[in-house]
Amino acid sequence: MPHLEIAGRTFLVDEEGFLQQPDVWNDEVAALFAASDGVEELTPEHWAVVRFIRSYWEQSGSAPMVRLLCKETGVNLRTIYKLFPAGPAKGACKYAGLPKPDGCV
Amino acid sequence: MAERMDDAARRALAALEDRLDERTAAYLNACVRCGLCADSCHVFLATGDPETIPAKKAERVARLYRRYHTLLGRIAPRFAGAEDASDEALDALATAAFGRCTVCGRCALHCSVGLDPAAILRFARLMAQAAGRVPKGIQASIDLARATGNNMGIAREDVIETLSWLEEDLRDTTGDASIQLPVDRPGARVYYVLNPRELKFFPLSISAAGMIFHAAGENWTLSSTDFDLTNYGMFAADEAAAGEFSGRIVRRAEELGVEELVVAECGHGYRALRWEAPEWLGRRLPFRVTSFVEVMARYLAEGRLALDPSRNPARVTLHDPCNLVRHGGVIEEQRRVLRAAVADFVEMTPNRLDNYCCGGGGGLLAASEHAAARLEAGRPKADQIRATGAKVVAAPCHNCIDQLGEINRHYKLGVEVKTIAEIVADALTTGGPG
Repeated sequence: MPHLEIAGRTFLVDEEGFLQQPDVWNDEVAALFAASDGVEELTPEHWAVVRFIRSYWEQSGSAPMVRLLCKETGVNLRTIYKLFPAGPAKGACKYAGLPKPDGCV
Repeated sequence: MAERMDDAARRALAALEDRLDERTAAYLNACVRCGLCADSCHVFLATGDPETIPAKKAERVARLYRRYHTLLGRIAPRFAGAEDASDEALDALATAAFGRCTVCGRCALHCSVGLDPAAILRFARLMAQAAGRVPKGIQASIDLARATGNNMGIAREDVIETLSWLEEDLRDTTGDASIQLPVDRPGARVYYVLNPRELKFFPLSISAAGMIFHAAGENWTLSSTDFDLTNYGMFAADEAAAGEFSGRIVRRAEELGVEELVVAECGHGYRALRWEAPEWLGRRLPFRVTSFVEVMARYLAEGRLALDPSRNPARVTLHDPCNLVRHGGVIEEQRRVLRAAVADFVEMTPNRLDNYCCGGGGGLLAASEHAAARLEAGRPKADQIRATGAKVVAAPCHNCIDQLGEINRHYKLGVEVKTIAEIVADALTTGGPG
């Protein structure tokens, strides 16, 4: 299993950089993963998206539909893609510490 | 491996024995090792690794074939260029077939003696699959599609709620209250199927299709249950799964009584439903199967879409998905559509049948264990895109779009990647966003 080193910390990740240690995730880890992916500054909108994805996943074991994400966070759909240039799956879900979703993502 | 090696080897060799047709057997014996296929392969161009030369990858099947199906291979394997079906040989076969080949088929166009190395690599996938060596992400997508009806496990109520939300958003953004995203509508002429990633994460391509169908006055429907056009069974050379997935859509189309099944912009999904499904199901399909790209071109030719190309002023180039173009035969339609929808269209070089794979085809995008190799294999495509000076890459395939998005960031290309429908929707002067 590969490791990802960010700011002196080492994380166990899959080959695409998705965190494989759910227990170590917290706000600081989210910010580190985002920064290492080029999203340097996390705004309140970023945090609303990341935290909702995280809590949804903790309850259901899957990533939320983007519809629910928009509805629950109040963030506009088109804004999501601007906030997370890598997209909801490879961006937002990755920073929220989820494993990689199945399918064409 | 969880089970004994000899069982896996036995199954791989049984697949070789049962399924080897005359054409593939002839290919296995006819390679003259000229090496011309090397430069045809985007993986070899990106890596320079001789192990990725198409003939070299295909040779892995030939070595097993000679070992068990030729006299010299049986009695003196070393002199015959033959190899035992060992654990290592099967692992190497699986890595070559799934991780270092996207079955894009470009090598077949450049073979000096007219062979099809990609056909042998498809056969290698069949053997690797029989030996339980399908990459786990591809297998997980197959298992999820089997269990839930789609490869992302999306529930029916989530489909309905998402489409209703998108419909409302469309009415708001276009100011046209009559626009619809019809679901399970009896009597529709067209049944439109999707890639689940559109519903789950990237729904604006569904809105774009809705705007185009609306502008053209089409009588169409989506399905709340049988909407998934993807077929990871095809990638895994698992024909039982492949037939099951395409069979669901075919049965639903028959129940709906539609004239035409329209496949959203997805290369392998089009190939599976248009060209492979009749083979898997053993019968002709009683309706027409088309790509949405062909449908948009037809609407334009019939004067059913009014487009203003000045609404897309940035330079646009086009990526040709292997399964839509080289394996699918949809070549000129996307060009006719783009020329009508954008102000500055440029081809990348090479293009059409000779285009390079994005590097993420053949299911590779779902095979995380090969992620680094996949990004590296995207370099020829990144170079092609950069050379055009384009700001937008049109890609009529959701799988390619994800890979192109990744190489865009990895190679710092600074482009936007879009479906053709999204570009067309932006240019609509009737039913479009004002």
